[in-house]
Amino acid sequence: MTILLQVLSTGVGLAGYYALIAVGFALIFGTLRIFHVAHGTVFMIAGYAFFSLHRLLGVNVFASAVVGVFCAVVAGLAIDKIVYGPVLRRGGGMFAVFIASLGAALIVEAGFLAWSKGVVSVARTGMLDTFIVGGVAFRAFDFVIFAFVAAAFGALYLWLHRTSTGLEVRGLTDNAYLAAVVGVNVRRTRYAIFLIASALAGLAGVLVAYDTGLEPSIGFKMLFIGVVAVILGGVRNILLGTVVGATCLGVLTAFAGFLFPEWNSFTIFLIMIVLIIIRPQGILG
Amino acid sequence: MTLRNNGLYIDRLSMNFGGVVVFEDISIEAPPSKVTACIGPNGAGKTTIINIVCGVFPPRAGKVYIDGVQLSGVRPFNTVRYGLCRSFQDVRIFPSLTAIENVLVAMPNHLSGLFLPGGWRQERANRERARHLLQAVALESAAERAAGELPFGQQKLLSLVRAIATGARVLLLDEPAAGLESDLIPHVVDLIRSLVKAEGRATFLVEHNIELVRQVADQICVLQAGRIIASGDVRRVLDDQTVIREYLGQVYNV
Amino acid sequence: MEHLLYIGTLIAVWTIVALAANLVIGYTGMMSMGQAAYLGVGAYVTATLNILLGVNFYLALLIGSIIAAVVGAITLLPLLRIGGFYFALATLGINFVFFDIFHNLAPRVEGSEGLYGLQLPDLLASSAPRFATTVAVAIACALLCQAIVTSSLGRALRATRDRPDALAALGKDPRRYQVLIWTFAAGLTGLAGGLYAATLFYIDPTLFTLDASILVLVYIGVGGLASTTGSVLGVILLIAFNESLRFLGLPSQFVGPFQQAIYGLLLILLMIFRRRGLVGKYDFTE
Repeated sequence: MTILLQVLSTGVGLAGYYALIAVGFALIFGTLRIFHVAHGTVFMIAGYAFFSLHRLLGVNVFASAVVGVFCAVVAGLAIDKIVYGPVLRRGGGMFAVFIASLGAALIVEAGFLAWSKGVVSVARTGMLDTFIVGGVAFRAFDFVIFAFVAAAFGALYLWLHRTSTGLEVRGLTDNAYLAAVVGVNVRRTRYAIFLIASALAGLAGVLVAYDTGLEPSIGFKMLFIGVVAVILGGVRNILLGTVVGATCLGVLTAFAGFLFPEWNSFTIFLIMIVLIIIRPQGILG
Repeated sequence: MTLRNNGLYIDRLSMNFGGVVVFEDISIEAPPSKVTACIGPNGAGKTTIINIVCGVFPPRAGKVYIDGVQLSGVRPFNTVRYGLCRSFQDVRIFPSLTAIENVLVAMPNHLSGLFLPGGWRQERANRERARHLLQAVALESAAERAAGELPFGQQKLLSLVRAIATGARVLLLDEPAAGLESDLIPHVVDLIRSLVKAEGRATFLVEHNIELVRQVADQICVLQAGRIIASGDVRRVLDDQTVIREYLGQVYNV
Repeated sequence: MEHLLYIGTLIAVWTIVALAANLVIGYTGMMSMGQAAYLGVGAYVTATLNILLGVNFYLALLIGSIIAAVVGAITLLPLLRIGGFYFALATLGINFVFFDIFHNLAPRVEGSEGLYGLQLPDLLASSAPRFATTVAVAIACALLCQAIVTSSLGRALRATRDRPDALAALGKDPRRYQVLIWTFAAGLTGLAGGLYAATLFYIDPTLFTLDASILVLVYIGVGGLASTTGSVLGVILLIAFNESLRFLGLPSQFVGPFQQAIYGLLLILLMIFRRRGLVGKYDFTE
């Protein structure tokens, strides 16, 4: 029983990261129908920037974190402008954008591979305390993650439901074509979407760099986890769907990691494939 | 109309989408070697009839018979097996295939040329037939052009020819003249007269172009407000006062 | 010279993979991002039979190819009902599923991550005959593929690619052609896998990952979709280019990442400027 709770607690802890990545991905995919593979790379850029500044150059934690998130935002917007824009303008469809996104991700990942050659970079300087409640260990850092996620989602909710841009974003989720016809400023909304999604990915990158460390392939890994979470939760209700998807996935991967430790990828992707086959619109879709 | 054993027979078909009744209790007979047209205002449900016959969705009530056999289990991809083929209002030709390839791929034994010794002969025979069909709509000169590059009118003709190439005994044509320039319509008339009727097929077509209907149809039914308000010999129906008042008079100066 | 023969043999092997992939992607319009899985199945089955069970290599190659075809069919069948983009995503997942299968279930030599020790027949044992043999097989495959695509089956495949719904309305179930060509292509890829194992002497799961599947896409993307010449051209050009990078004098740790960055750049440029590839006949607009 305690083991069960322990696995659950690990799962919910994982879910926090998944949620941050997934919600950004869901925002972009749900509104613009862009399969932003490079979202994982944006996450990585933030993490590596944070690591470089804090660990290598000794900059203060919070400043490094802010710069890290800023780098993620710049990267996300740049990729949209330099890669997706031209592809779409020249008649590329969703699939062509996907391949181009893959290309961008490969380039950036290559950069990191060249730099650190597969070495895990850890930025942790503390906050490793765990405390035991009823035989189950909780990590103090999990609460930090939870706090950030809650704040981020809260802010997102306010943005989506209380601002005009947010309204336009929700309009895009429902019907992008109609939204453009009605006069939603698609370009400005697009900037906002990429900005916010990349910022969230950046936040996740900083947190992961702080917590478990980074390696060049983590971008892809996190991205696909985000994808499965989005497929699980569906894009109809971005916030709730992501929370549901991320939590389910977190718990599932925690159990899979516990029961079949060597079959992590297998489990996640088998889930993804099965989901795509039986219910691509997700649990809530 | 009496129940006949050949061709298409639609027996008391009823359909609704949600709470909206599309049509109620309609019966249509399309015998072989004759063209049966169905006209009526937009939204009357003409295309829905074709969709039901082809198994896109089931009717609320009613039955469909082909050559006396009740259709069941027909789905859009196995209609030809039941002797049916339909054409689409929005042309659905294969854009990257040439015109003649579009026709060839529709033929029932189109794969027989594959690597087998006797296959060469079959493929040649198929090509002959395909050219013959293309000739009927003056498309022979475009035979080796990619179908996607042809103008819409020619694509439409190609799709009709393709439906005929399947060898289906019953043809369902969904607005064959829609979007065609008037100089291409005689081709449709010729096609239907020569290939369809001469080869004994039963044709059911839905149309807005009354002129075309007048030229090719043998019998006609008028669908309006969910019911067939007139049916029978084409000349008689088109001259009927009720029909003119209810439908034609609003649309055409007959 | 030894090295040149080795590169030449690799080119031949990857040409077979590219030809097979082009059949399903370029001609039939089924976006497969998981071809590496079938390559791995072929390689592992062939190698396992030959090394651990002493099966004659040619026989092992044949069996490997057949098993890869069967695996291809099995992995395709559940995906037939989904189309377009989600289909592609599912095939992408196949890479990871099979990687873990290879990693956890495939045999390996004690103390190493992979498998080696193939007992190769004369035609494949040393580099020169191996080069000749694989090139011969590649040429045979190219001729076979060309025969298929110019035949009436090729016509049906292209119709399946263009408008499967219209093909169905004409009384031909597109799924039949999809399963047929996919199974055939998986078998061909499995054959290439066995030859790949023979060329490398050593195989491990890291050879058969998403990276390899993407590589295949880059080969046929650059060469051109729906063109047999394109597949051959793409492989030759890119592998030759790859090799030429060695002469740039980059420190060895940068060579791999540099190649990856070039591939990434190529993908982007292709998607922006020339989705058709060099000599391709099909521009996917989805």
